[in-house]
Amino acid sequence: MTVLRITDLDVHYGLGRRRRQALKGASLEVRPGEVVGLIGETGSGKSTLARAVLGLVPASGGRIVIDGEDVSGYRNRQWRSLRRRGVVQYVFQDPLRSLDPDLPVVDSLIEPLLIQGVPREEAVAKARTFLPKVRLDPELLDRLPAQLSGGQRQRVAVARALITEPKLVILDEPVSALDAANRVGVLEILKDLRATGIALVFISHDLGSVAGIADRVAVLYQGELVEVGTAREVVATPRHPYTRLLISSAPTLRTAAAGRAEREALRALLTA
Amino acid sequence: MVRRVLSLTAGRVSVAILLGIALLAVLGPLLAPLDPLAVSDDTLAGISGSHWLGTDYLGRDVFSRLLDGSRASVVGALEVTLMALVVGAIPGILSVYLGRVFEWVTLRVADTLIALPFLLFAVAITALLGNGITQAMLVTGVLVSPLFFRVSRAATLAVARSQYVEAALISGASLRWIIRRHVWAKVLPPIAVALAQTLGVGFIIVSSLSFLGIGVQPPEPTWGGLLASDLGYLDYRPWAPFAPALLIMATVWASNLLADAIRDVSGEAGRALLNSRKVRANQAAAAGGTA
Repeated sequence: MTVLRITDLDVHYGLGRRRRQALKGASLEVRPGEVVGLIGETGSGKSTLARAVLGLVPASGGRIVIDGEDVSGYRNRQWRSLRRRGVVQYVFQDPLRSLDPDLPVVDSLIEPLLIQGVPREEAVAKARTFLPKVRLDPELLDRLPAQLSGGQRQRVAVARALITEPKLVILDEPVSALDAANRVGVLEILKDLRATGIALVFISHDLGSVAGIADRVAVLYQGELVEVGTAREVVATPRHPYTRLLISSAPTLRTAAAGRAEREALRALLTA
Repeated sequence: MVRRVLSLTAGRVSVAILLGIALLAVLGPLLAPLDPLAVSDDTLAGISGSHWLGTDYLGRDVFSRLLDGSRASVVGALEVTLMALVVGAIPGILSVYLGRVFEWVTLRVADTLIALPFLLFAVAITALLGNGITQAMLVTGVLVSPLFFRVSRAATLAVARSQYVEAALISGASLRWIIRRHVWAKVLPPIAVALAQTLGVGFIIVSSLSFLGIGVQPPEPTWGGLLASDLGYLDYRPWAPFAPALLIMATVWASNLLADAIRDVSGEAGRALLNSRKVRANQAAAAGGTA
């Protein structure tokens, strides 16, 4: 049983002559309780993959199966009812922009429940039980997002994603907008989540920040999934030149970063 | 929002003036001491105890005409504004959400309306539909509506692509939910500003149309109509245009003041302004306590 199965997914943007392919035949499986790191540079199609899974961009080919449900041909109404069940949730990169600046954070936090039709009091009570999980002070609930720190805001965003008890949470660079201390804090929370059986897809441009937490790593390069394997496999024996370039660019993963000549050779190989 | 606007002096002053004008519109015709349409031999009289603002070229009491005409002027301005609001703001918000065809059509209609010279168009429409205050005002409202269309569309666009709207979408929110919960609060302040501005413009439009003889028909008085007839007799009563002009000006000014007040207290900037005022008040209170 998989939480998410993507088969030969194609996504195109634009029309006519400006039409270009953002994803080419991507296939990926995510099992319950698994953490999958999705790595790639800017424009490689990471966010497109996530948005296709959420139904925010239409797929032009291939299949997406979420929790046993084939959503490939879904129309708006079907998407809405699927989303309302809260099976898949999403955490944005920038926590300042993902919370409505005019609403107290409690309103943003319980919004998914309110959309489901849960009465407000019940939703607030549930939100309070969720706060310890993300290490947030209940006092913060009545504040506006601008009165919270970046780390606190991101924890609110994580709590919002968890409140519907999803089976899969996609995190789009969840810590890249945070400072080191908050980064560790949020990563700790995500590690706790693994124990609860929620599957996580952790999107990042940086292999180093994902390797420590991910069970498996998928590497996207120019719209193609060039390498999928366990984190250890991918780091120890990368097969694709791009993955090798990624690893050699991260000094923490090896005793020393690759030499300039080696990196240039790998770049030349990729552009060939 | 109302409480925030009233916390500003400008807000209180403008609301007081507008309430006064509204009261005038409701009670004006009843307060008129003399029949506003009654003609007498006493033409172009100066200010006196029996005629507070003198009489016009037909010997009618100007003060009574001014009071009696306030209702038509205010109702006309309101008609223009509300028509523009309904015809402009709702398609403006929806143009962002209802797909490309709707968007294209509404944008082109708005462009077309902007391009039409409104006085000529109003004249043409009243020729077509018959000359009446409501026809004239509704047509004018449609012509002013692109302002609301643009303002509400721009404000909605800024919100529509935001991540918190997307977050709501991912949780299965309907269009109605998103508009009510996220879009409305952001679009309302600029619309309120446009509303107050249009109210001011509405008075001028009612006045200029009745100046041209469109809309309210003589001998029924309006502020603009009074101004027009007074201008013809400047040789005899040079001070006469001041009373109607002052009323029009005060209303327009109060509307603009209100628009400014709404803009000042809304959104992030408004919150900052009110906070700084609160801080200053606290500091003053603290200083007073120690003194």
